[in-house]
Amino acid sequence: MPHELEQLEAASPDAGFTAALGSVSAEVLETMFFTEALAVECEHGWVAGAASVLVNFDGSHSGQMWLALTPDAVPPIASAFLRLEAAETSKEQRSQVICELANILCGAVLSSLWPESRLMLDAPQLIAPECGGQGVWHCCLALEEGAIAIWIRLSGVPETS
Amino acid sequence: MAYSVLIVDDSPVMRSFIRRVMSLSGFEVGECWEASDGEQALAQLKEHTVDVILTDINMPKMNGEEFLKRLEEEGTLRSVPALVISTDATKNRILRMLALGAEGYMTKPFSPESLREELERILGARNASRA
Repeated sequence: MPHELEQLEAASPDAGFTAALGSVSAEVLETMFFTEALAVECEHGWVAGAASVLVNFDGSHSGQMWLALTPDAVPPIASAFLRLEAAETSKEQRSQVICELANILCGAVLSSLWPESRLMLDAPQLIAPECGGQGVWHCCLALEEGAIAIWIRLSGVPETS
Repeated sequence: MAYSVLIVDDSPVMRSFIRRVMSLSGFEVGECWEASDGEQALAQLKEHTVDVILTDINMPKMNGEEFLKRLEEEGTLRSVPALVISTDATKNRILRMLALGAEGYMTKPFSPESLREELERILGARNASRA
């Protein structure tokens, strides 16, 4: 097998990486967004109406991480992060909080998967909701209110240095 | 003793989070200044005296690395310690920021207690070296 293909094979989705994605994401949600998160079986019927954020990353590995949150999950997450009543948070603040959530999740997950790598994250951007496709790591978590789905897709061949 | 703090982060909600978490943790915050990038932070430091700087890395205009370099060049880090707070927990990045003069490096996610402990470690060490 050519070296590049071996590298892609090594970086392809597997149970270990998916488990790491779920556990690191749950830790982020519990520690900084003060909500319990439990891995659940995927059911993506709700994604079409979700709040979604994309983070492009580059460095030793390049690709994209994106997440989708059920609409009812957003106000309590923003409220908990900002320590404000849900009614006190503005639409802009809620958008900023889910972008920050995406930023933290992306950095924490990638650092956990590849602690020896170089990592550069672009600014998170709100996007139209989309589900994952081929060649992605993915997890779904049930929150105290609502749910979150997270996908990571690598593009290109990881650096080996 | 209440400490004056400068928080440097391009995310307004992250600055707000840090400010609240410091208070919640029991860390005594006096005046708290904010900046959304390194340039603004340098301007704030000309106007205000602070005891500790908390800075992100990924920021527009002047990122955390450039900001630390400027602080080092200007001699600011001799009197004001800087704590980096970032999502990037890769070894390369941590070692680089510490080599640039950061006194500590916290990775997100972090708890209020761990932030207080790190701030107390940094400020305690600084005060001890002055004594």
